[in-house]
Amino acid sequence: MIRLSKYRPSRQMGLVVTFCLAALAMVYLSYALPRLLPGDFVTAMYGSSQVTLSEAQEAELRAYYTNDRGFGSYVIQLACLDWGYSYAFLSPVSHLFLAALPWTLLLVGLAHLISLGVGFFAGVEVAWRRSGILERTMVSGMTLLEGVPEISTGVLLLLIFSLHLGWFPSAGAETAYADLSIWARLAGVAYHLVLPLATLVLAYLPGNFLLTRNSMVMVIKARYMTTARAKGLPPCRIRYAHGARNALLPLVTRFGLRLAFMITGALVVERIYAYPGLGTLLFNAIQARDLPVIQGVVLISSLMVLAVILALEFVYKIIDPRIDHARAF
Amino acid sequence: MISVFRKCWVSLTVVAVFMGFFGPAVPWAQDRVAEVRIADSKGDWGFPNPFRHYPRGPGYVRMSWVFDTLIWKDASGYIPALARSWRYEPAEKAFIFHIRDGVRWHDGKPFTAADVIFTIDYFKRHPYRWVPLDAVAGAEIIDTDRIMIRLERPYAPFLAYVAGTMPILPKHIWETVDDPVNFNDPKAYIGCGPYRFKDFNKAKGTYLYEAFDAYYQGPPKASRLIYVKVGKPLIALAAGKADLANIKPDMAETLREKGMVILKNARGWNKKLMINHRIEPFNDKRFRRALAHAIDRQEIIDKAHRGLGSPASFGLISPDHEYYNPETPDYRHDTTQARAILESLGYRKDASGFYSRAGNPLKIELMASNITVAGESVSDRDGEVLKRQLEAAGIRVDLVNLEQATTDGRIRNWQFQLAVSGHGGLLGDAMVLERMIEPGKSSGSVNSARYGANPELLELVRAQMSEMDPIKRKALVFRCQEIYAEEIPAISLYYPETMAAYNPEKGIGWYYTQGGIALGIPIPQNKMSLVK
Repeated sequence: MIRLSKYRPSRQMGLVVTFCLAALAMVYLSYALPRLLPGDFVTAMYGSSQVTLSEAQEAELRAYYTNDRGFGSYVIQLACLDWGYSYAFLSPVSHLFLAALPWTLLLVGLAHLISLGVGFFAGVEVAWRRSGILERTMVSGMTLLEGVPEISTGVLLLLIFSLHLGWFPSAGAETAYADLSIWARLAGVAYHLVLPLATLVLAYLPGNFLLTRNSMVMVIKARYMTTARAKGLPPCRIRYAHGARNALLPLVTRFGLRLAFMITGALVVERIYAYPGLGTLLFNAIQARDLPVIQGVVLISSLMVLAVILALEFVYKIIDPRIDHARAF
Repeated sequence: MISVFRKCWVSLTVVAVFMGFFGPAVPWAQDRVAEVRIADSKGDWGFPNPFRHYPRGPGYVRMSWVFDTLIWKDASGYIPALARSWRYEPAEKAFIFHIRDGVRWHDGKPFTAADVIFTIDYFKRHPYRWVPLDAVAGAEIIDTDRIMIRLERPYAPFLAYVAGTMPILPKHIWETVDDPVNFNDPKAYIGCGPYRFKDFNKAKGTYLYEAFDAYYQGPPKASRLIYVKVGKPLIALAAGKADLANIKPDMAETLREKGMVILKNARGWNKKLMINHRIEPFNDKRFRRALAHAIDRQEIIDKAHRGLGSPASFGLISPDHEYYNPETPDYRHDTTQARAILESLGYRKDASGFYSRAGNPLKIELMASNITVAGESVSDRDGEVLKRQLEAAGIRVDLVNLEQATTDGRIRNWQFQLAVSGHGGLLGDAMVLERMIEPGKSSGSVNSARYGANPELLELVRAQMSEMDPIKRKALVFRCQEIYAEEIPAISLYYPETMAAYNPEKGIGWYYTQGGIALGIPIPQNKMSLVK
């Protein structure tokens, strides 16, 4: 019999090496892809402005903003943790990124957690009550909701709750420059978060619910579930400790990949609600052809995807030890 | 003890009541509002100083709250600012300005004539792209409150493009600054405008200004001025989260019902069909006229903009401009006439009903994109309507929708055939003719026709730039419009309705500046609204 421990460290090392090579490829793509965008910063900034430039001025500006020292120099810069300097904002890319990141983490992270939790529990409960009216209603409703794009949901929520009812603000992450105490400010942030968060939860929830429900339907048919019932275990324990845990894997994969794409995933919602996250930062940078910012955001989001996929490799084994056994043979 | 306390309390109360009735009135303290919030969909327009704001109108306006100019404009025209009076001396080829006294910078230091001289010299060494100073030879102090700005040559747009646009810098701060673009010290935002700059949050796209109570034209009406970024200005206004915002014309009725005041701008911005007149068949003005006849501009307005707009003049200058020539040639929509011109050029209809010549089908690529109008990105369906109209005239059209920066880049590099674009400045100084026609300017606006095929037109465009007599200049501009419309290097399609709305409850009366703010910015955020 093959001893698993003999193979695990080398396999893990192999995984890490593979992902490192992928990360290097991402670094190259983050350098090369933005440069393929048509147009440049000077045209984007001055093209439709009221400023008149002479040829010499334009050449000087173009030389300043396209001072490309090559991929090697870019890698060295990254190794020194220098992400570059934004053409438009005239400030380090890292500052811009770190200023926008908390808002994206708050909005998208919270939306994922809420939709994961609600979707998971609702999916499990509905699958357990198979063929009932609740299941049919929920599945139909969620299937319908899955087809509604975020842009429609967002605009609808704005119209109803902001314009007509006036219950929630229509834009921003907080009231700008309001002189508030820390608790009042936190309350303000939460208040501004309601509509964008609701939009994203409504976008993510149906997928999580349907995936959990479908996985659970397959798991319920398993023999160990029959055994668990025969043993006289409480229904709640059967559902969650025996059933739901085995139905969790696809949901974990979905959650991980969604989280990895959080930077661009909320771009539409951030635009609708003028929420100051990374999606807005990237959108504005692309419009302005602000190469350093585009490079920085593309690189970080790519590395996040890789890191999450790598982390999922280890998380799978914790959730379902059978995966580790299967790979050993 | 208690009786003493009671006596003091009663005395104080009596004094307070007396002062309330008979004390000195402080009008500004009674009329001033706590804050005014202006909504904007983009948010980020750069830091508000001459070297860090974005080269677009909203960027300049954010800077103008902090930095004043020699003269300014309000709803009626030019008004004194840092200069209380001015005149042109033809013999000297110079402008004489009487500088105000008693003006303070935000740091309390006095503003003097030396600051104006320094500013001109500084901008010559470190160009501020909004203010072309190549026509300015130099400046000197005549006496304590008079300066002379000498010109290299007579320069008609001087008041609009220099005196009314150039922000004056404090010499005592900038004289030691060699790298103005990267000078981001708090001192870089010391001006003598009505507001002090306090904060710009890049992530949120918000700006905060605080009133400068020692402003020479009187304390501002609002203690704080805040720019907020919003996705939907209609909702922000209706919900009271903003006091002023640009709006789409469709929103006007809804906001009017909610008590907002609706402002409508004069026709200063036009949608334009750019033509690559450097390549065949567009290098033939007869072909360009055929295009003009094939296009039904009213239909574009009706179908793509619900009737909210008006057909543009083919002569570039707006009908609302004092220099507009009502005799400018016009090309009425006439598909028959368009076809007749095409056939006179040798095109014949093939079996598919489209024109071709010598076996080559007449097929045109038409580029369209979102256009930025007064700082707001606007999408529309003009390209689709144009495509249908040109195809009805027998011209195959390949419609390509691209993002604005991509379209601008291709227009700039002449990698296009037809492109839908747009620009403003049509109500400002007639210098717009030079900006939109002169082929010598390689950059600046991608909306420039860069047309040099008609020497008479170019000569007139250059001549009006140096004609200081308004009557003679008007005659030159009239003739420019006639020839431009005959040559038709680009087709001005229509003027979309440009509107804004504001909440009147705060007692601030916003307006569109005559001819636009500074050199023609078409947004109703004139600082005089918060001063006078």
